[in-house]
Amino acid sequence: MRMDTVIMGGGLSGLTCGIALAKRGQRVTIIASGQSTLLFNGGSMELLGSIDGQAVMAPLEAIPTLPQDHPYSKIGASRIAALANEAKELLADANISMEGNAEVNHWRVTPMGVAKPAWLTLSENLRIDDLAKLPAKHVALMCIRGFFDQPNGMLAQGLQKLGFDVKRIEFTTDDITALRRSPSEMRAASLAKHLVSNNALQRVADQINTLAGDAEMVLLPSVLGQNDESYFKALESMVNKPLRLIATLPPAVAGSRMQTLLRHYFQMLGGNYLMGDTAVSGNFEDGKLLSVTTAKLGDMPLRADNFVLATGSFVSRGLIADYERVYEPIFNLDVDADSDRELWTRFGILEPQAYSRYGVATDNELRCLKQGKPIQNLRAIGSVLSGHDAIKMGDGTGVSLLTALAAAQSTLQGKR
Amino acid sequence: MAEKMQLCNISENNFEQCTKCSICTTVCPVAAVTTDYPGPKQAGPDGARYRLKDKAYYDKMLKLCLNCKRCEVACPSDVHIADIIQRARMSASEGRRASLRDTLLANTDLLGTVANLVAPVANATLGLKPTKLVMHSVMAIDKHRTFPAYSRTKFETWFKRHAASQQDAFSNHVSYFHGCYVNYNFPKLGQDLVKLMNSIGYGVHLLDKEQCCGVALIANGLFKQAKRQARVNATSIRQAVNGDGRTVLTTSSSCTFNLRDEYPAILDVDTSDVRNSIMLATRFIYNLVDEERIKLVFKKDYKRRIAYHTACHMERMGWQLYSIELLRMIPGLDLQLLEQECCGISGTYGFKKENYERSQAIGSILFKHIEDAQVEAVATDCETCKWQIEMSTGLPVENPISILADALDVEATRLANNLTNN
Repeated sequence: MRMDTVIMGGGLSGLTCGIALAKRGQRVTIIASGQSTLLFNGGSMELLGSIDGQAVMAPLEAIPTLPQDHPYSKIGASRIAALANEAKELLADANISMEGNAEVNHWRVTPMGVAKPAWLTLSENLRIDDLAKLPAKHVALMCIRGFFDQPNGMLAQGLQKLGFDVKRIEFTTDDITALRRSPSEMRAASLAKHLVSNNALQRVADQINTLAGDAEMVLLPSVLGQNDESYFKALESMVNKPLRLIATLPPAVAGSRMQTLLRHYFQMLGGNYLMGDTAVSGNFEDGKLLSVTTAKLGDMPLRADNFVLATGSFVSRGLIADYERVYEPIFNLDVDADSDRELWTRFGILEPQAYSRYGVATDNELRCLKQGKPIQNLRAIGSVLSGHDAIKMGDGTGVSLLTALAAAQSTLQGKR
Repeated sequence: MAEKMQLCNISENNFEQCTKCSICTTVCPVAAVTTDYPGPKQAGPDGARYRLKDKAYYDKMLKLCLNCKRCEVACPSDVHIADIIQRARMSASEGRRASLRDTLLANTDLLGTVANLVAPVANATLGLKPTKLVMHSVMAIDKHRTFPAYSRTKFETWFKRHAASQQDAFSNHVSYFHGCYVNYNFPKLGQDLVKLMNSIGYGVHLLDKEQCCGVALIANGLFKQAKRQARVNATSIRQAVNGDGRTVLTTSSSCTFNLRDEYPAILDVDTSDVRNSIMLATRFIYNLVDEERIKLVFKKDYKRRIAYHTACHMERMGWQLYSIELLRMIPGLDLQLLEQECCGISGTYGFKKENYERSQAIGSILFKHIEDAQVEAVATDCETCKWQIEMSTGLPVENPISILADALDVEATRLANNLTNN
């Protein structure tokens, strides 16, 4: 089977790249081995949140100071603002309404109640533009009885620390109580699937309206709408105070929705999305990748002019660490990683870890290196790239979106 | 040493690879509509740990699993969650007899053989209210369901009478595993395949001996019988592949998935030596076009708007691409892709009285999408999806092979492939 471009990996970066290419009329197939880590995302994108432990508030100003091996440096610091705009527009076209801009970070609130710098946040989520000027002082933190995915005590404490006056209110409804019959699945995703009728939402609204007292704003865990934001809007219209959602522990409803909407948009543009398949090997000739063999398509490999590697980091198995080495499992591409295993990790889980910067080695056009030489038509994007640190630098989603768009541009310009 | 440790660290169906991320639960269509089902993570890898300790930990609610495999498709760690659940069901069913209703529903070929003989009577009475009520209350087969109509003439009979003698004249040959649905209910699909293959220069042949693939037997817990039938089919397929050098084509995604993957994974019937030669006809034909070994010419006046539904087992096999890309070759076809959702029938599951409401609730998302797509028909590679979607949306549902056969300009295609009249 022949395509213009084959993308390995169906998460945030793979889908973004696929959409950008399909929009320009390319025939694109995405191979996705299972759901992506976008499902762990609570509803925010980060461009750059922190350097050496210091919060970054003006990411566009900080990005030119990043080291040469950072993916942003490779695609060019001067292109970041334009790419960031393009990414925001692409998300909006996919019906993902996010607010924020690349010039100034705002603060998102984690499920543990910690504020972290962010670039874009879903309109429905709590977002703080200025820590000195909170969107409300008195907030009612609505806690669902028996709910697994929100550590209420820590969250309330965290919000207090930020300056909110928090009133913790436990509540339930008949629909929610019925869910507790399944002792193992009182999770955000299950709630989102059951809170879909107007009646069920009205019962939640009635509880909130009765219990929220004199709070200026109501905060609710993000348990609404796995496929679209209409359920939040419906509830918002039923609640008589401003309503904002707080990200839960994963899998997150917001991330799950973003994944669905992006995939839907990609398929609407004519893209093929092969869910549950895995690329297993490639056929190279003269420094070019000719075709990719997948587990399910078997003896009928996917041929294409261009290929994109968007397979993610260790958790998505885009990178594998065994007892001896770190490697890229499909093509055995060059990786930037320490060969001495002692250097991979350091004691203390919250310490910066070397392995989180490991990834596939690329040239400045994001072309993958194999035995030191760039593969002309294979580009790497997103978390599989080396030189960035999603956890410590808050640059994971930004790198995914921006490298995806940069790679799409090079692909379209025929930079081979 | 290190390598050895990793080699030993492989668990049956990969259940040790589960990282407890719970993504499977977010896509489970059953957990979405009922709290009685513990969800795939708990029913699969989590429960497997307990069951290893003591079989008494088996949760009878595992019977609610559709075996749709959406959990496996979504799993980022390649855990064979649904296989773990089917294995647990199989182990719990040892020494127990299935109910009369389940035995009847599962024996699609026994039911089909009897019904074919009395097709007009069977079709009339199965559709009558009193019959439906008796089936509902005595047999626990839901009264809302209409049994798929039985054909008066089996596909095999039609083939032997009208097609078999012409097949040897072709220079290329394939075998056809038609399945129960084509044989007893809808011979037209088989006829469409013969028409299509003949137009591109391929003779079609039946297997020496074909039995029901057993997908319904597995679902209904009749594992011993499923194994017996699997062995018969495996022998016939081996004869066709190794003896006659033919690829074995199919037109049902669930039969295909069962023959290729469930035989070894659940029934311990190894078909790995012939697995690559068992495939959906759409994959085979797509590849011929792709390699420019054949040409398809379509009617100029063909014009339809159709939505494609990816059946759950089709997605598990990862082959929807072939059906979709083939349909996209038809110039007059406006093809709408539906978001992958389970239709809720899952073979015989939705026929059971106790499952009816759940089955319809599961399918409701898909039915809404179909309604929104504003199409005149739906295409899918699965026959039970067809029954469910036809009953629930009122729209006709067709196999891609039938759509291709219908849109094909037979004479022009024969000419394009240099076939002379024989």
